[in-house]
Amino acid sequence: MAAAPLREQLSALLSSMFSQGLVDEQFEQLQMLQDEGGTPGFVAEVVTLFCDDAERIIAEIATLLEQPIVSFDKVDAFVHQLKGSSASVGAQKVKFTCMQFRQFCQEKSRDGCLMALAVVRNEFYDLRNKFQTMLQLEQQIQAYDPKQQ
Amino acid sequence: MEGRGREVVTRVLLVDDSPVDRRVVQLLLSNTCAGSFHVIAVDSAKKAMEFLGLKEEGKEQAIDMVLTDYCMPEMTGYELLKAIKARSPLKPIPVIVMSSENEPQRISRCLNAGAEDFIVKPLQSKDVQRLRNCSSATTQCKGKSDGKLLPSDHVVVDAAAVAESPPPSRRRAHFAGVAMVLHTSSVELSQYFPFLFKFILLVYAILCLGELLRRWSNGCFLSLWCA
Repeated sequence: MAAAPLREQLSALLSSMFSQGLVDEQFEQLQMLQDEGGTPGFVAEVVTLFCDDAERIIAEIATLLEQPIVSFDKVDAFVHQLKGSSASVGAQKVKFTCMQFRQFCQEKSRDGCLMALAVVRNEFYDLRNKFQTMLQLEQQIQAYDPKQQ
Repeated sequence: MEGRGREVVTRVLLVDDSPVDRRVVQLLLSNTCAGSFHVIAVDSAKKAMEFLGLKEEGKEQAIDMVLTDYCMPEMTGYELLKAIKARSPLKPIPVIVMSSENEPQRISRCLNAGAEDFIVKPLQSKDVQRLRNCSSATTQCKGKSDGKLLPSDHVVVDAAAVAESPPPSRRRAHFAGVAMVLHTSSVELSQYFPFLFKFILLVYAILCLGELLRRWSNGCFLSLWCA
C-alpha cells in the first residue's frame, strides 16, 4: 500500500521526462529490457554510468576550452563521445545540444563552444537531477516491496 | 561456437571506447537473447588486436564475431576491420561495425572492406537479430562440410564454389551494402514521396494539356476524339 503513491510519483516523473523531451524511445527500450529481461538495476546501472561519464567529459571539454590555444579536434572528439553515450541511454536533449556543439567545433569558434558547453552542462544537470530522483523513488519502492523488483 | 546441448553460444568481442555504450550493448545482448551471446568487451582496437592474437603468430582466436565501434582514438574500427580481414582471409571472423553517424560513404567503405554488416547506433533489440544472422551464416558455412560441428578456427572452403563465385562474405557484403544504401536512400526519400507523386502528376497533366492545345491549334480537335 505504501508503495502505491511512490509508484504514482515515479510514473508522473517519467511521463514528464518524456513529454519534456529529456528522454526518448531509447530510454523506453532500456526500461522494457529491464522489465522483460528480468534484469533489475539495468537502467540504474546504465544511468549511473552515463552520469559519471558525462561529468568527466564535460570537465575535459571545459579544460580544453580554457587553454590559450584550443584544440577543436579534441573538443569535437569529446563532444562526439558524449553525444554517442547520451544517444545510447536515450538522453535526447543532451544529444541534441551536443549536435549543436559540434557545429561550433567545426566552425572553430571558442565563444560558440563556450556557449554550447554551458547549454550542454545545464541540460545534463537537469537530466541528472531527474535521474537521481527516479533512482531514489525506485529504491524506496523496492524497500517497500522487494518482491516486485 | 560452443555448443551447450542444442543451444549455440556466440562469442562476441565488443570493441568500444565508450564505457556507457559497452555496457548497454553487453546488457542488450544478454537480455535480448539470454545465453546466446557471450560478450567480451575491450575499450580499444589495440586491445582487440592483442586479444585476437593479431600481433602474435600462432595464438588461438576464441571469438566468433567482432562488434566494433567505428570512431575510436588511436586506431579506428575501420582500421581494426581491415586488420582482421587481412590477417585471416581464409578463416574470416565476422566483423560488424557500429557508428552513431549514418553516412552512406562510411557504410559502403566498411562493407567494401569486408564488414558483414553496419549498424547505426544506438544498438536496439531489433539489431540483435542481425548479429545472429551474421553468426548463423558462419555456422551454416561450417555445418555444410560433413555435418559435424567444427571448432571456430576451422573453416571448410569449397574450391569449386570459390572459383565460380565470389566468397560468401563478399556476396553478403555486396547485398548488405546494397540493402544499407537502399535503406538509407529510402529513409531519406520517403519523406519526399508525396511531393514526388504530385510533381509527376502535374508534369503529366501539363503534357496532356500541351498536346490538347497543339492539336486544337492545328485544327485537329475533332480528330482528337476519333483517335
